Amino acid sequence: MRRFAVSLLIGMAAILALAGLSALLTPSPVIAKERACVPFHLKTEDGRIINPLTGENADQPYSSRQTCGACHDYDKITKGYHFQQGWDRIKDDFDKKKPWVLSDGMMGKF
Amino acid sequence: MAKKKNDHPDQIDLTPWAWISVGPIDPQNITQPSCGSCHPGGGGLEYDRDGQRYSARLQANPGLAQSLDGDYFQSRWDKTGVVEADCFICHLPGYDFKERTRQLKMLNYKWAGTAASGIGQVTGFVREDQQPVVSYNTRLFNNDGRIVLDLAYPPPAENCVFCHGLSDVKKRGFSWDDRVNHDVHNLQGMNCAHCHPAIDDMHNFAKGDENVSTVRDDLDNTIKTCGQCHEQGYMGAPRPAHMKIRPNHLDKLACEVCHIPALHRAAGEGFDVTTGGMVNYAKMMPPPGAKKIGQEFTWHPQYQRDEHGKLWPVNVLKAVFFTNQDKDGIHYPLFARELKKGYEKAKAQLQPKNPQRPELHTPEQIKTALAALTETLQGNKRFQQVKPFFHKGGRLYFLDDKGEVASRQDDTWAGHLEGFNINHNVAPASLALGANGCGDCHSAEAHMFKGQIVTDMFGPGGKPVTQSSGRFFGCQPWAFYVNQFHQMYLTPYVSIFLLLLVFAITLHYTGMGPKGADFYAEPAVIQRFSLAERWTHLVRMIAFLLLTFTGYIFFYNNVSMLRMFFDSPAGAVIFHWVTGLIFLAASAVSVILWARDARFAPYDREWLKKHGGYFSGTEVEVPAGRLNAGQKIFVWLTAALSLFMGATGVLLIFKNSLPLTFNCLMSTMHGLVAVIFVAAVIAHAYLGTIANPGTWRALVDGKVGRKWAKKHHSEWYKEVAAQEQPAEKQEEGGE
Repeated sequence: MRRFAVSLLIGMAAILALAGLSALLTPSPVIAKERACVPFHLKTEDGRIINPLTGENADQPYSSRQTCGACHDYDKITKGYHFQQGWDRIKDDFDKKKPWVLSDGMMGKF
Repeated sequence: MAKKKNDHPDQIDLTPWAWISVGPIDPQNITQPSCGSCHPGGGGLEYDRDGQRYSARLQANPGLAQSLDGDYFQSRWDKTGVVEADCFICHLPGYDFKERTRQLKMLNYKWAGTAASGIGQVTGFVREDQQPVVSYNTRLFNNDGRIVLDLAYPPPAENCVFCHGLSDVKKRGFSWDDRVNHDVHNLQGMNCAHCHPAIDDMHNFAKGDENVSTVRDDLDNTIKTCGQCHEQGYMGAPRPAHMKIRPNHLDKLACEVCHIPALHRAAGEGFDVTTGGMVNYAKMMPPPGAKKIGQEFTWHPQYQRDEHGKLWPVNVLKAVFFTNQDKDGIHYPLFARELKKGYEKAKAQLQPKNPQRPELHTPEQIKTALAALTETLQGNKRFQQVKPFFHKGGRLYFLDDKGEVASRQDDTWAGHLEGFNINHNVAPASLALGANGCGDCHSAEAHMFKGQIVTDMFGPGGKPVTQSSGRFFGCQPWAFYVNQFHQMYLTPYVSIFLLLLVFAITLHYTGMGPKGADFYAEPAVIQRFSLAERWTHLVRMIAFLLLTFTGYIFFYNNVSMLRMFFDSPAGAVIFHWVTGLIFLAASAVSVILWARDARFAPYDREWLKKHGGYFSGTEVEVPAGRLNAGQKIFVWLTAALSLFMGATGVLLIFKNSLPLTFNCLMSTMHGLVAVIFVAAVIAHAYLGTIANPGTWRALVDGKVGRKWAKKHHSEWYKEVAAQEQPAEKQEEGGE
């Protein structure tokens, strides 16, 4: 009975030690959260992967629509003001009193 | 920006393609941002007005570049590619904004993001008819070919100021993380995204209120206000006590007025497009002015009212530019290329000292420029009529029928100048206006009213024309001088004046002594004042004391005392109003009660001639009615003073609806007359108490002694005695 109790204690201690060690070795979730994006593939404007290590499309510029858009809703994000800057409202007869003003944003506003 | 549909090349200004890379491309200035530098891509840099991708459409239909389509006219989208939304411009620390600009200026639209992010090098430029090629930095890639980037969310402030630093230093003297031009929020470790967080999935950010650009007004005021953070302690924001600040100041002034008293980077004073280029001028006041925008330079804002009458600090950029009035009567701004052509024609005759900064200001110079533009615009297909105008300093210059320069006030859209809100670079509370008292704004040289604001950058002689700051928010100079008298002379010296008065009274009492001191113990048998008279006097006296008490605290702006006695300054103000109205009513009743007795009689001359005997060391007999001549003067004087105080006081109750100039005058007059009133009442109180023993009790039980009455009011006593004799005889006969 005593031997069983000692074995149990040693076993529990070993489990705790292993749990502690694994916790130390596992990357902290806090650190992982600090990185806004996990490693990702760059892509060309027609959606092909760019891999400079293999030379695959390595002379092409990356496309944010294809690269960032793989995880993020590019079309929705670019409806925001900073991207449209009035382009979503632009029209030739936007302001009859000031006919040269075509929108209320930087693209079209005087 | 060019319209989509055009009938002639003359009508086309910048197409979106040209807009992206506009600006100088010489090696020294190539990193000077173009429009596309600050537009992060996507939207109009990726898709045309029909929603099609520029590059694909032009490749499919190359003829569009030769058409008059405002999206494609003379464009090379098929070679340059489009500018997609560059996520890295905001989210990648260390992003190279200058490299982005360089790539865009060299027409490498599609490659700009790759080069500027530093993930690869780009060689070759479309502008030089080369095919750009990328060499990626392989150290950034894992073995599986995935790139590892430390992207930041939310974006770091350093990335926001790529664009907002550039434009906002010109508009408002804004700078961030700048030890010269500090900001109290920045000093507390805050960043742009703390106040301007994303408010929806479309990357729209919380926005304040901009009164000039009118950009996306639907997003206005989505940012937390100063009050929302500082009253609720959001993010540990301290709650201000504003102990020294008058409540109406908190209502009428935006927080920024006091908390951004000065900026320390030169903003733009204005710009001049005479040459066809945008020539910026840095702040010109105080002299000698700054040499360039962004230079370390301390200046003070201009103040403008919003639609609610609230005052805001602003910077108004003065525009010097040309328009052409077409047949429809509208003043159309001229394109840069039209101005440049006109200036080239006029330059030889103008012979400016600095050809890049002609600074037109004489009638001859303006005439030359307008004549050159008239010649330039002949045959221009975008106008049906050629009639150029020059806009400068709030005036409109044009050539009359004889070809001479005429001018009038600029009543066109161009003459309507609004300021850019100043809302960053907030000073610590200890540097805010008012931290050192009212004098921060109301002293002789304080900027708030007296600071000089430029109205015309090139006035007569080419020198800037200025106007005092107060004029811009409705304070006429004379009203400011009246207010200045209040602050500089009335407020500091009023206590000294009243102290000297008390000292003089003490001297009088000890030198001349009380008159009729032995009457004090005399039995009071003659009815002098009725109950109505005593109550009226009592109400008037108590109201006056309370008005003096609150008014005195207002005079010295002691908000701590106002809070101590009235819970809040606003409570004290209401108390003062109510007490004032009671005093006014009691004053009216007192005039009714004493008007008959306050009529002057011939014997009053002798009383006045002998000054009532008050300046004699001995007892002097002077004739007097029920009221002596001094009291009669006091009745009418206080009636007039009460009327004046009441009238000005009632107007001041509604001061928030009245012009500032009028309020300055009213408050100063109200204060000045109050001091005179208090001095008169102190003298009256002295004469009614210790100077004439036995007088005070007439206001308590209404009765006086015979000797007192005979001494102080001989003519009245005769009347009383005459009325008593028949009554006594009647009583004796009856017995």
